[in-house]
Amino acid sequence: MAQSTVSGSRRGKYLTIGLIVLGVLLVVFFGLRAVHSFVRMRQSGLHPGTTNVELIRGWMTVPYISRAYGVPEEYLFEQLGIPPEGNRKKSLGQLNREYDLGGREAVLRAVQQAILKFQADHPPPPERGQ
Amino acid sequence: MTDINFTELFLTGMLTYGPSALGVALLLGALGLPVPGTLFVLAAGAFVRQGVIDGPTAALLAVVGATAGDSASYAVGRFAGGWVQSRFGQSSAWQSARQTFDRRGGLAVYLTRFLLTPLAIPTNLIAGGSSYAFLKFLTYDLAGEITWVALFGTLGYVFGTQWELVSEFISNFSGLLVGIAALAVGIYLLVRQVHHSRAAVASTPPVQ
Repeated sequence: MAQSTVSGSRRGKYLTIGLIVLGVLLVVFFGLRAVHSFVRMRQSGLHPGTTNVELIRGWMTVPYISRAYGVPEEYLFEQLGIPPEGNRKKSLGQLNREYDLGGREAVLRAVQQAILKFQADHPPPPERGQ
Repeated sequence: MTDINFTELFLTGMLTYGPSALGVALLLGALGLPVPGTLFVLAAGAFVRQGVIDGPTAALLAVVGATAGDSASYAVGRFAGGWVQSRFGQSSAWQSARQTFDRRGGLAVYLTRFLLTPLAIPTNLIAGGSSYAFLKFLTYDLAGEITWVALFGTLGYVFGTQWELVSEFISNFSGLLVGIAALAVGIYLLVRQVHHSRAAVASTPPVQ
């Protein structure tokens, strides 16, 4: 009986030490990461409506990019050199794999440049009162 | 090596198949698959803002998917609990843990849905394993999932295209909260052990 109480209290001590060590490790690890990501958030300024081309990712589809950046779908497909038919539901990553477009980064760059070119060729009309 | 991953697959799925992909992703996440649910809810909020998916449908399917997954992991805990009960059911530690969960389990279920999310699945398993009433579990679970979807969906909607940065911060902050919780429980247990040992020393009769 006494032996089981002793082993139980020893187990309790190990559990306590384990929890404290785990807690300290998690607090330090995630605390540093949280501070780092908070600084990044502050630096980015968090402009909700921004259409920065740097935010284009490999999981995005051409119709989504077209909608988000106000660029016609057909134009983007044309710039990538692929037909729109059967490709509207595919991500940029999938299109790269299927059409061998020179790598994921190359596809992202091609789309970014196409959007910047379109925006330069079609500047938004000046706002009223300016 | 292929550069495809599940996070990207579900994000693309949300763009092409709409809110049903969100529901499936959250269901799988609640079952224990490594699916970043909070990131998807944030992304869905941003997609609603951009007019890509319908807000009310996305919110409904998100809550249904997450709650169905939670109920399934509760059921796993309940079935596995039969074995645990037969082995440890008579022990005082198990009885005490069960009574504690019965008293405060609702709060644990609610908070782990949106605040201490890494602890959500263990909580479901413990709830099922300790035979916590399913209807009570479902009520707190539903309340927690609605809070989660409303809170992070709104954040995604508000921050729009910046949701990735917000997601990164939330994920790290959630890990930090789990660390603080572990540390708090550890310190509480330490203080209790010190009190117990002092009380034991005080109650020991002096040696003549």
